[in-house]
Amino acid sequence: MSGKIYISRDGLAAAMEKLSRTMDVWTPAASAKDKWGVEFALYEPGVKPILDRQSTLSPKKTIFPQVEPLFQFERTKDPEDPSKTLIRLKDRPDAKPAIIFGAHPCDARGFFTFDKVFMEGPYKDPIYKDKREKTVIASVVCRECDDACFCSAVGGGPAEKEGSDIWITPVEDGYVLEAITPKGEPILEGLGAAATSQQEAAAAKVQEEAAQQVIAGGMKMTGETAEFMKHFEDKAFWQSAIAGCISCGVCTFVCPTCYCFTITDEARDTEGDRLRSWDSCMFYHYTLEASGHNPRPNNTDRYRNRLGHKFAYFPEKYDGMIACTGCGRCIRNCPASINIWKIAQSLKEQADACM
Amino acid sequence: MSTLDSAPDAGQKIIRIVGFLCNWCSYGGADTAGVCRFKQPTDLRIIRIPCTGRMDPLFAARALIKGADGVLVSGCHPRDCHYAVGNFYARRRLELLKHFLPFMGFDERRFRYTWVSASEGQIWQKVVTEFSEQIHQLGPNPGVEKQPRTCDA
Amino acid sequence: MTTTDIEQLHKLMEDALPELEALIGWQPGYDALHAAPAIARTPEEASRLVFNPFCIHNLARTVAKTPPPPAKEGEAPKKIGVCVKGCDSRSIIALIQEGFLKREQLYIIGIPCKGTIDLRRLMKLAGEDLRAGVKSARIEGDSLVVEGAKGSRSFPLEKVLARRCMRCKYPNPVIYDVMAGDPVIPRASEEEAHKDVDAVENLPVAERLAFWQGELDRCIRCYACRNACPLCMCQDRCIAETRDPKWLPQYMGLSEKFIFHFIHAMHLAGRCTECGECERVCPQEIPVTLIKEKLNRITKELLDYEAGVSTEAVPPFLTFNPEELGI
Ligand code: SF4
Ligand code: SF4
Ligand code: SF4
Ligand code: SF4
Ligand code: SF4
Repeated sequence: MSGKIYISRDGLAAAMEKLSRTMDVWTPAASAKDKWGVEFALYEPGVKPILDRQSTLSPKKTIFPQVEPLFQFERTKDPEDPSKTLIRLKDRPDAKPAIIFGAHPCDARGFFTFDKVFMEGPYKDPIYKDKREKTVIASVVCRECDDACFCSAVGGGPAEKEGSDIWITPVEDGYVLEAITPKGEPILEGLGAAATSQQEAAAAKVQEEAAQQVIAGGMKMTGETAEFMKHFEDKAFWQSAIAGCISCGVCTFVCPTCYCFTITDEARDTEGDRLRSWDSCMFYHYTLEASGHNPRPNNTDRYRNRLGHKFAYFPEKYDGMIACTGCGRCIRNCPASINIWKIAQSLKEQADACM
Repeated sequence: MSTLDSAPDAGQKIIRIVGFLCNWCSYGGADTAGVCRFKQPTDLRIIRIPCTGRMDPLFAARALIKGADGVLVSGCHPRDCHYAVGNFYARRRLELLKHFLPFMGFDERRFRYTWVSASEGQIWQKVVTEFSEQIHQLGPNPGVEKQPRTCDA
Repeated sequence: MTTTDIEQLHKLMEDALPELEALIGWQPGYDALHAAPAIARTPEEASRLVFNPFCIHNLARTVAKTPPPPAKEGEAPKKIGVCVKGCDSRSIIALIQEGFLKREQLYIIGIPCKGTIDLRRLMKLAGEDLRAGVKSARIEGDSLVVEGAKGSRSFPLEKVLARRCMRCKYPNPVIYDVMAGDPVIPRASEEEAHKDVDAVENLPVAERLAFWQGELDRCIRCYACRNACPLCMCQDRCIAETRDPKWLPQYMGLSEKFIFHFIHAMHLAGRCTECGECERVCPQEIPVTLIKEKLNRITKELLDYEAGVSTEAVPPFLTFNPEELGI
């Protein structure tokens, strides 16, 4: 027995319903009635999964929410010595098991960047680790590449399994599901009928076709540190590359690999939360120093950092891994249509031209 | 201000009205009302501002968004502003807010602005009484949150 | 724009360029359904500039907030050239009104505008067909014609235009040095311009709250709407972000989102020209301009003022009239 199961399109909701009894089920669904955008939402009856379109925001929020309390605190007076203040901390509850049902391969791979930073360095982030370990990722074989996608140029691909626990292949009228890691196996137990050999063959064909899509002209990127450093001081290059950048946080907020955060204490009277929330290197405040000095005062400096971080600093630090999965979200959603892929490429081309 | 005399019955939500009063006229008017021992409802919490010209309409908006049950702004009568023109600016802004609030889903009756001078203790008493009654009739402001929050910072 | 119009536009640009520091316009984007703001300094760069229904960006914002620095440091800057649609030109007027731009520092190339496309509306109609491989797109009469991977498709303009364009009263630039092309007929009359506001106002107050709760709930406070706004001038000092004064905590509750949008709205009251950029850039499809449309309507009714039509007018909340309002 292959262990592959089949769930019909109509049976999808029932399967999610079943999963949601024991875990949080995140699935892409219309962000609101009559809207085009797709958003990862917690499954509840009535939610209609949309598995064939990329979500606006990546699913990073399921493991790394936009805002999360690290702990709660309360200040009290020491009854022994009223001049002293005592601080009582309340830990957060442990994470619930969860599944991301309907990620794209580029979404799943996005967590690799997080893992490096939050789990593999000298400091291991317990909150991230807890959620990450309890979250199963079920990804859909992707057949929706558009002109902003460049996943296969940065190590991924529309049929790249790495990063996912379960593989969802859309076939006519339904989906063939297959566990590709031990973490995925128990999820599929009893979730659907065993796939017939016909269904399996259809799935294999879909996977093959998906893998054959030519993305980003078949280009490949490795870490571009040298090229990037060559252009570091080239103001004219950056200016013309990002003429319309408005320094909004859209590119970083939608990105599956942008992990920068800020920590604030939000208190009222004697109680409060210590919050971790998404920050964006495209914001002025991100680098604003207490003295009032800002080392990255304008949009070109900030954009240069964003690109440099993904294609140069990160690979330099983490064995050549590019901190971008080529999902194209930042390109599609950028109010100024700024194209990180084209800029990364032109770094290289212009560097080649210099030689 | 004592909350004792307005202590709510068990289960009844306290009504909270935020008052923004200018230092020179209305704050004085409220003081006059107090000194004269005019009886007033006690739901109003007063914030003293230097002039209604300082009254950012967002102060009122924020209070209502955060769940204040009513917002009352009061300053010097037009042409009597301590700073000559502060309330002329305020008048446009507050009138704008008054028309705007219902568009965003806030009952405009929860917001009122008025002019009371330092000597008009009795008028102040009337304004506060009427406005408080109106807010009591409207009941608690549901606010905008749909989910409970851990902290109301 | 027809081919002759484009040629005319390029001719105007060519003529003007030698006297300019730089020329701000649009260049093709990553596919045929996108354009991107661009800064041209050489004739070659200028020849790459385009104008089409995807030139959706308001370039007044670029001139006002991130103008190209002078090529040679130390030298007195020359004029900055900028291409404007009707709505962009009104933003420029508003910026001149408030002293953020100087008329004499600008060289304005006006472009009569047939409207810009709301890509999400288009995708909703076209779906899969236009996802990839689009070769070109143009406005023909009352339709948008797209040459896609699977052949040519035509969409009625009223189904794909941006909301701002459906209610546009000023498609022809209001301020300009030269105009590229013949004036076009405005799409909306005074009455039609606020019909979306009417739709909200036809709801009872409690349902309006529910409507905004539903819309604003999606807001991620990325601040793109604020940053895209040509008239949001505090920019890096915005009170939505400062910790002192602290108007907003980092929580993502509805009250934070409401407060942020009240901030943007109230700060734009009597200033917003309804260019619709705030709504266009929102990744969450929140109709943020609608909020300002209401404020503008109030301003018009109470104070008989419309922003961005006269460089001489004083924005109404920067002034007063002792006699007015009867209060
Ligand atoms: S690159 Fe685009 S999305 Fe990112 S900050 Fe600039 S304008 Fe916003
Ligand atoms: S940088 Fe852009 S393309 Fe790369 S992962 Fe982030 S959003 Fe996707
Ligand atoms: S609002 Fe008017 S001028 Fe602006 S893009 Fe739309 S049609 Fe053109
Ligand atoms: S652009 Fe949209 S999501 Fe971003 S802050 Fe504005 S309304 Fe919110
Ligand atoms: S608030 Fe929106 S519509 Fe008004 S000027 Fe700013 S970006 Fe344009």
